[in-house]
Amino acid sequence: MNLNLILRFLWRDWRAGELTLLLGSLIVAVSTVTTITLFVDRLQRALHQESASFLAADMVIRSGDEVDPGLLQNEFTAPLQRAETLTFLSMVFSADRAQFASVKAVTDAYPLRGELITGDEPFQRGQPAEGGPPPGEVWLESRLFPALGVKSGDLLDIGVASLRIGKVLIKEPDPGGGFESTGPRVMMNMADVPATEVVQPGSRLTWSYLFAGSADAVSDYDEWVRPRLLEGSRILGIKDGAASVGRALERAERFLLLGGLLGVLLAGVAIALSAQRYAFRHFDHVAILKTLGASPGAIDQLFLLVFLIIGVLSTIADSAIGYLVQLGIVEILSPYIPVALPEPGIRPVIIGFVTGLVCLLSFALPPIMRLRATEPVRVIRRDLDSATVSDRLTYGAALAGTIGLMWWYSQDLWLTLLIFSGGLAALIVLSVVAFALLRSGRMLGMQAGSAWRLALAGMQRRGQENTLQIMVFGLAIMLLLILFLVRTSLLAEWQTQIPADAPNHFAMNISPADVAPIRTMLEDNNIHSQPLFPMIRGRISLVNGESASARDRSQRYQQDDEEQSGPRASSGRNLTWSATLPEDNKLVAGNWWPADYRGEPLVSLERDLAQRNKIAVDDEQVFTIQGRELRARVASIRTVSWDNMQPNFYIIFSPGALDDFPSTFMTSFYLDQSQKVFLNDLIHEHPTMTVIEVDAIIEQIQTIIAQVTLAIELVLLLILISGAMVLLASIQASMDERLKQQAILRTLGASQRLVMGSLLIEFCALGFFAGVLAFIGAEVTVFALETQIFELTYEINPQIWILGPVTGMVLIGLVGMLATRKVVRVSPTIVLRELA
Amino acid sequence: MKGISLEIKRSETVAIVGASGSGKTTLLSLLAGLDTPSRGQIFLGEREITALTEEQRAALRGEMVGFVFQTFQLLGSLTAIENVMLPGELKKQADAESHARELLERVGLGHRLSHYPRQLSGGEQQRVAIARAFASSAEILFADEPTGNLDSATGATIIDLLFELNREFGTTLVLVTHDERLAARCDRAVHIASGSLVANGATEE
Repeated sequence: MNLNLILRFLWRDWRAGELTLLLGSLIVAVSTVTTITLFVDRLQRALHQESASFLAADMVIRSGDEVDPGLLQNEFTAPLQRAETLTFLSMVFSADRAQFASVKAVTDAYPLRGELITGDEPFQRGQPAEGGPPPGEVWLESRLFPALGVKSGDLLDIGVASLRIGKVLIKEPDPGGGFESTGPRVMMNMADVPATEVVQPGSRLTWSYLFAGSADAVSDYDEWVRPRLLEGSRILGIKDGAASVGRALERAERFLLLGGLLGVLLAGVAIALSAQRYAFRHFDHVAILKTLGASPGAIDQLFLLVFLIIGVLSTIADSAIGYLVQLGIVEILSPYIPVALPEPGIRPVIIGFVTGLVCLLSFALPPIMRLRATEPVRVIRRDLDSATVSDRLTYGAALAGTIGLMWWYSQDLWLTLLIFSGGLAALIVLSVVAFALLRSGRMLGMQAGSAWRLALAGMQRRGQENTLQIMVFGLAIMLLLILFLVRTSLLAEWQTQIPADAPNHFAMNISPADVAPIRTMLEDNNIHSQPLFPMIRGRISLVNGESASARDRSQRYQQDDEEQSGPRASSGRNLTWSATLPEDNKLVAGNWWPADYRGEPLVSLERDLAQRNKIAVDDEQVFTIQGRELRARVASIRTVSWDNMQPNFYIIFSPGALDDFPSTFMTSFYLDQSQKVFLNDLIHEHPTMTVIEVDAIIEQIQTIIAQVTLAIELVLLLILISGAMVLLASIQASMDERLKQQAILRTLGASQRLVMGSLLIEFCALGFFAGVLAFIGAEVTVFALETQIFELTYEINPQIWILGPVTGMVLIGLVGMLATRKVVRVSPTIVLRELA
Repeated sequence: MKGISLEIKRSETVAIVGASGSGKTTLLSLLAGLDTPSRGQIFLGEREITALTEEQRAALRGEMVGFVFQTFQLLGSLTAIENVMLPGELKKQADAESHARELLERVGLGHRLSHYPRQLSGGEQQRVAIARAFASSAEILFADEPTGNLDSATGATIIDLLFELNREFGTTLVLVTHDERLAARCDRAVHIASGSLVANGATEE
């Protein structure tokens, strides 16, 4: 067959509207995948950049000692940019005052990622600076200016060096959150460090070696250097910038990936359905071509070329559409996305293109292959079955195509297999159930008397087709439910993680005499704070009469990692007492003591600590506090939410138990940016206390989480749209049979109520079964996903037990009615003639 | 269609004859209320069907009209008896099944009640369609080329059956055909060409 003929054939098909649905599915499939991939790709890179700024680099080696220069400068680091910082605590002196400060010395290349924001006057918004302070100059955090009574141009003494005060340091990308951020920041040039003479053997220093470059170069270096580092050195990657951001980012990436995967699946289903319909409607066509002398080879050639042309043209068009849609989304959302998105790469466009072609080949080819097998005798006997290409080939191709695409797309075989086999298993089991349900008690006749019985009888009669359709509907709804559930639990977890007014400053080492004045000071300034907790260092010495340290030593052979096996009994801990159970703590055993309790010493232990050491309620423990022993009975065991940014304790005593021991107090409070100067007054009046500032970190965490949340909502929306398209394609594909039935009923005089009623009931029932199937499948898959991939705690989701079937009924009922309403609008002859 | 004026009496058998594309099937669709003319009036019994909505026409069809199509138009997912039961079920007749059984026995298909259309020959399918047409106890029966898809021997049997039942039930029969022999068996033949009535008269028989 020559190309000219094929093109004419294509044109006629197009004119006759035969290609509309197929093209529609293809367009939606490929544009969804392209849009999601493009958007995710840009967002992911933006988030990476943002997160990299947490470290001021892509990778950091942090160490208490200087690292061997041979490890830092070699062929692996040649392609990378490098910078170093050195952080230490020191007193700094102005002409007449002194202040404890956290000093950070930086090399000229610092920061490699993110920006330093500086100003000319304290407490301003500031502008980005090019690099850190030049040699001979120091930059000071705003509140140091009033605290030291200095202005720009004055001299500041660090150790034995005198350095000129330059700009005001408003914000640094990597403030850190640990010990080194105990005081306000002074930033200086690394070249001036020797002159200060503060770096002495035994000084407490933190060296950070910063690297930035291409992802490959960074990971090559990481791989090489990791085993060579001495103990005491740590490698921080982007995802380690802040633990919670790292986790959030990782999960968000997985979610976006999951969204993309489901998009591919939905796209495949839509294409398969419309290709099936296309093939079905062309059986006669092919039969006639064959009677006219076309060989099976010629038929293959014809349809393969037709499909190739459709595929290539539409995929190119679709990739362009996907690109434009994604540009539009970015444009609309840019006010809400605080990071600048990097330019889209070429990979997503290729992914979209390949997705389209693979979908077309694996989902559309098998039904088309059936066409070649059409027997010419069909011209005379239309009801001959044309299914001679084995179903195994059909399904095999679709399965292989799906798995291949998902795998290629996610680069994660485990995730692919998990989703795939979970979904498949659920579908197989449940389709058997659905089929059995439909077949039970087959009724005689069409039961045309009532819409109900007519609909149900019809459903039973077409049991096999309906089971398939329920599976398709169910699959689409299930995928939507999965995405919805995972999204909901991710967002819920993130929102509880850091509320907007989470304390962002910790105050420690507060002497008992300072407690009342500090409380008053906080209240006078309307600062929301946690109660002041007494804090005493101590440890458990005897666990149920056995030496705690001996126990820990014997367990050490098995596992020494606190993260895995739980907290050790013998470690030194901060002890406190409290009359009331702290917010966010939950009792899991025993009872909390009454607020006015003044009896024998009682203690409440954190669950993991109690579990690891097999301590139960009513057991008696001996504590060693400041060299003295204290006996206390365990009154309760409780859980603690460690990441709520509030003072949390493993061990809490009853009131009065610790009265004999001198203690200091601690608290945490929330300070708005505009209230920061309050810290000066606070520290000035109570110079012995220590304040740790974590506000910058919290703010960054919140920004990133907000961005990630938005991204997730967007992807959900895109998937919803493609899910609706699948439903439409699926209903369309089964429409001919329904239309014919209803048209014949119409000729025989059935009323509109009966016809539409039975259709509505049938669609709703299909939707209902699909919804039931969907929620069961979704529960199973979400269980696997949340426990295996997202590391969330799985909880059963009763809301989707209702949401699934209701969504199914409403969606499919609605789409079905829209698609079939012409049965009663148009005269039955027209419908029958169209279907003939 | 233009300038057509036609009256068909109760119990009359009328053939609409004409070449392919002359408009005979369109005329049948209009008479049966399956289609509506852009202008003009059509009465079926006492009712002006051109003034009815599609919904009302459907009700009227259910009440007094039966159909036999060239392409049979049986529902592939229903057995023979289920196809014949349809009209009775639509009218909520309690005896739809026994009535359908009788009719199928009457058309000689008592032994193929639970066969699906695809398991039946063309002639058998058309007999099921005829049984369905009479199952509605219609006053008027419209047949569109009822033998068009059948060989002449089978076609002749089908026609015999159709006329036999028609006499038995006293039904009015309007059929479209290009078969002059079939037309000759009707009381009257109406000739159509290019959408116009060219002859309207009693047949020779």
